[in-house]
Amino acid sequence: MGIAWFLVGWKWLHLRTGDPRYADAARLWARIFGINFAVGVVTGIPMEFQFGTNWAAFSQYAGGVIGQTLAMEGMFAFFLESAFIGVLVWGEKRLGPKSHFAAAVGVAMGSWISGFFILVTNAFMQNPSGYAIAADGSLRIASLSGFLLNPWALVQFCHNQAAALVTGSFAIAAVGAFYVLRSGTSPRGSLFLKWGTAVGLAASLVVAFPTGDQQAKMVARHQPPALAAMEGRFESGPMADITLIGQPDVRNRQLNNPIRLPGMLSFLAFGTFHRNVPGLGAFPQDTWPTNIELLYYAFHVMAGLGTIFIGLMALANLQRFRGKLESTSPLLWALMLAFPFPFIANTAGWMTTELGRQPWLVYGLFRTAEGYSKSVGSGEAIFTLVGFAGLYFLLGLLYLFMVGREVMHGAGEAAW
Amino acid sequence: MVALWFAVLCLMIVFFVVLDGWDFGAGVLHYLVARNADERRMVIAALGPLWSWHEVWLVGTGGVLFVAFPRVLAAAFPAYYLALFLVLWTLLLRGLALEFRSHLDNPMWQSFWDVVFAGSSAALAILFGAAVGNVMRGMPITPDTALTLPLFTNFGVRGKVGILDWYTISTAVFALVCLTAHGASYLTMKTSGEVYARSRKMASWLWVATFLLLSLVTVETTSVRPELFSGMLARPLAWVALLVAGSGLTAIVTGLLGGAERRTFLGGCALIVGLLGTAAASLFPVMLHSTLAPEYSITAWNGSSDPSSLRVAAFWWPFAFLFAIGYFVFVGKHYGGRVEETSDSHQPY
Repeated sequence: MGIAWFLVGWKWLHLRTGDPRYADAARLWARIFGINFAVGVVTGIPMEFQFGTNWAAFSQYAGGVIGQTLAMEGMFAFFLESAFIGVLVWGEKRLGPKSHFAAAVGVAMGSWISGFFILVTNAFMQNPSGYAIAADGSLRIASLSGFLLNPWALVQFCHNQAAALVTGSFAIAAVGAFYVLRSGTSPRGSLFLKWGTAVGLAASLVVAFPTGDQQAKMVARHQPPALAAMEGRFESGPMADITLIGQPDVRNRQLNNPIRLPGMLSFLAFGTFHRNVPGLGAFPQDTWPTNIELLYYAFHVMAGLGTIFIGLMALANLQRFRGKLESTSPLLWALMLAFPFPFIANTAGWMTTELGRQPWLVYGLFRTAEGYSKSVGSGEAIFTLVGFAGLYFLLGLLYLFMVGREVMHGAGEAAW
Repeated sequence: MVALWFAVLCLMIVFFVVLDGWDFGAGVLHYLVARNADERRMVIAALGPLWSWHEVWLVGTGGVLFVAFPRVLAAAFPAYYLALFLVLWTLLLRGLALEFRSHLDNPMWQSFWDVVFAGSSAALAILFGAAVGNVMRGMPITPDTALTLPLFTNFGVRGKVGILDWYTISTAVFALVCLTAHGASYLTMKTSGEVYARSRKMASWLWVATFLLLSLVTVETTSVRPELFSGMLARPLAWVALLVAGSGLTAIVTGLLGGAERRTFLGGCALIVGLLGTAAASLFPVMLHSTLAPEYSITAWNGSSDPSSLRVAAFWWPFAFLFAIGYFVFVGKHYGGRVEETSDSHQPY
């Protein structure tokens, strides 16, 4: 989702200026995008069907509501993406520049629309809205606009899409840094560094503020036990601290060797230092997230990495404006090696939101323990899980090989 | 409204089978009509950039089933758990083969993915054929226990049936042959040279085999579900669908005899549309037929979601459908005509 808009930007600049450097950049990244897309498609199709195979009770309960967005994703987004991805990667000659630009826009729109509908689905599970209970006890839709414009969904969409742009920018900056480090000077590398660091800084800032900030406020308002667990907070009270470092000890209900900023949690969550932030002790234990330690660490990994991203990108842009980025070798090394970390931060962010939702599948309405397919035995579930793990591991190796090959191919070619 | 959603679901399935059907068929024929690397590149190029758009109709079908008939989804998917995972993993391999094949210009790499593509296409045609057989025959649904099916029981079609029996195996073979014939007609329209000549020969034989198997499966269906045929007589839509299938059949025969490739191809599309339409019109409203007692069957009426959810979905679905067709037209107009055999171009489409 991040790279898609880089492609649109470069294709547009090429159309406007006729500068072949932009067409070249778009061509290289379109091939990498195509590999990403193929892996995304083939691993995404199973996910839709797993609602039925593994979460049948949940599907029957919530299908009338979340089925809407899942069907919309298929109908509005997947058709758009799938129609244009093939021609974006392979069809430049067949289509001509204008239609090829349209294909890039189609794919970018499709991937973001798809993201929107999936996040509306997830937001409904986090903070149900626009629903009613039907006669048979299942959920039905009461207001389509209430469901689609769930405030949680809008905040989560902005946060998630900004994170996608961070991921794309870091990948592009990393390839740029690699080219420059490898060849001394590389016009291709300079272009990637310029775009990667510029968009990377803007997106990293947006991920933290306002979107991350709003997301945390949303959790504070609608899922207070999740906020308490994210911060390892067991006692309630005003002037709540934010934890920078510490290890939660759930059995003894304490946080070991904490380093804290006093009052900041109250301020960040509610805008005032004097506001009481309830700790886990204030909630019945059967509404606590089921894995508090993992939730705590996931949240801190995400927030910590997000802060480091801003620092790294700020430094890179500072050096770039001074014209010294390409000669600052340690910084280039840092940029090159940084590209896996947005993936880690994204994963940690998703773990935060999903672990924080536990023990609920639909927050406050339907527990995770009720949602699985009753007729699927644990052996079958483990077998298919191991099957996926094996298949996806091989797919991961294949993916790295192919993307690595494209990157090396781009490094080897004569300039422009 | 429920009947309308049943129709939408069938429409999506028909789109998927007709469109992705020719991709599956071309995959099965991949090694039979193309003997060297250039010819195989031509087959892949003939499929064009829209194969994933074809496959999205399956994803869309899943979405429509989810929103409109969640109870059907919740009963059937876990019941066919391992079989469905086989479908998902095969789809995964097939998608990778088509997408990854042309990224490396290396003969070993390409033959590996070509074999994966051919094998997974054949496997999927068989799996989807068996799935249709299962829907036609029914499954051992009881009101109180969750439905599960073993792979096979006694290969009979009554009572406690398994996934495979003589009937579902016949439908699987029929689907494989019919979709392969459909793929052959498609290739005769899109290719030239040796690939064209071989596809043309294959198409004639495969369509003859399809007609023989079709008569066999029809006779078998009269013994498995005799009530479908007596009910069909009272349904005008079933008659319309039969007419479509019949005209498709005529078009195939005259097209093959007269060497009119486009007519044969469109006839094949019409035949598949007509057959699926006839099946849908005679099955309605039963979606999951119980082989134990008809009153346990899950129908469109008791399997659908709340009317309000159906109304909301009916509000957005037509727009999405029109958009989807629009993209197809936009991209498709750049990919008309035959693929020419060029060894200088290593790009697949």
